Amino acid sequence: MDLFDELTHLGVDVSGGVSRLGGNKALYKRLLGSFVKSIKEYDIQIDFDENDYDEIIKKAHAIKGIAGNLSITPLYDGYAQIVSFLRNAEPRNAKEVLKKILPVQNEITACIEKHLN
Amino acid sequence: MYKEKTILIVDDMEINRIILAEIFKDNYNILQACDGDQAIEIINSNPDISAVLLDLIMPGTDGLGVLRDMKKSGRIAIVPVFLITAEENEKTLIEGYHLGAVDVIRKPFMAHFLKHRINNIVELYGHRNDLAKIVEEQVARLNHLNQSMIEILATAVEFRDCESGEHVKRIAGMTKALMTEVSKRYPEYYMTADEIDKISKSSVLHDIGKISIPDSILTKPGKLTPEEYEIMKQHTVKGYEFLMQFPNIIDESTYKYSCDICRYHHERWDGRGYPDKLKGDEIPIWAQVVSVADVYDALTAERVYKKPFSHEKAVDMIKNGECGLFNPKLIEAFEALTPG
Repeated sequence: MDLFDELTHLGVDVSGGVSRLGGNKALYKRLLGSFVKSIKEYDIQIDFDENDYDEIIKKAHAIKGIAGNLSITPLYDGYAQIVSFLRNAEPRNAKEVLKKILPVQNEITACIEKHLN
Repeated sequence: MYKEKTILIVDDMEINRIILAEIFKDNYNILQACDGDQAIEIINSNPDISAVLLDLIMPGTDGLGVLRDMKKSGRIAIVPVFLITAEENEKTLIEGYHLGAVDVIRKPFMAHFLKHRINNIVELYGHRNDLAKIVEEQVARLNHLNQSMIEILATAVEFRDCESGEHVKRIAGMTKALMTEVSKRYPEYYMTADEIDKISKSSVLHDIGKISIPDSILTKPGKLTPEEYEIMKQHTVKGYEFLMQFPNIIDESTYKYSCDICRYHHERWDGRGYPDKLKGDEIPIWAQVVSVADVYDALTAERVYKKPFSHEKAVDMIKNGECGLFNPKLIEAFEALTPG
């Protein structure tokens, strides 16, 4: 399977993402590479402080935005829930969601890295 | 391909900027900023930006900070700003709208709709800005025309007085310079540059009442008899009454200056002027300024009954009270303007 097939299999809406870029597949591929870099940069640890998480909201919000724009739907949905829980002062629920989506996130980033390297 | 319009994309996430740039690259020149401070710098140094796509949450100066700066500089009225947001944060969005943002773009971007929405609004703003420019130019032309008519009227009156028409222009110039100096030196007389400009324009009408003075008095080469002098003094009140009949000749604030200047430009600081014998600051400062300008010009100009005095002699005469007493602060400002 090529990168796009594998990502589709992992729940990514590849055709939606490519169409947002006017059909430019090469650019989409390049942006997937940038996405992996951003995810690493905006790394959110599962044991974040439940009393001080303003920075976590910002990071989750940023990941949500780029995941949405690249149509990486499972991560977009997950981080949307995390942001929402954190804004409602429910950090424990946010952590539950994070626990569920981190393996998906790792799978998606590993897949992109494998194909781009 | 030549692109006439420029769009600024402001987002701290490069991926979002690249996607937006890709969506708009065919129709616009693209500028990008990765934070609010950079955005403000680009906006202020690029007067031709057609639209700003602005992320709200950014490190440093955020999207609302950029909007505040644009509101302060007035750019928000001519450049449409679209807020980029990934969620429903009602309070922030409402604040954004209050600061002048025109619309909200939600992430993930819907490329097709986004293109249409932004193109439509950019086009609308373009038409609106063009119309505003046309109206502004027409207002300026009308004002210029109006001022020309007023100057023609004032000059026509002056011609009877054997003046060339240069007198009113000199008075306007001196009034502007002196009023500016007075305003700068004394907070109690502070006026904006715009108001000073109106006062200067109003000053050309100071002697309009001379239209009612008979030629035999107005152009008499010798000294006026006491009776003739009383008639001559009437030009202040006559000018005022004349203007009172035409309240629409100029805009409201300029009209007030013109009426005051006509009536009070022969009043003196010690109450020994005419027609109302006002004293001190009972005389509006704009009329006081025109008095000094008028006296200086009368002294330094040649008249049928006298040769011109030198600048130095004229300044001395004004300082010594030979032409009546003036506000000492005005004299100080006048001396500062005419050194030596």
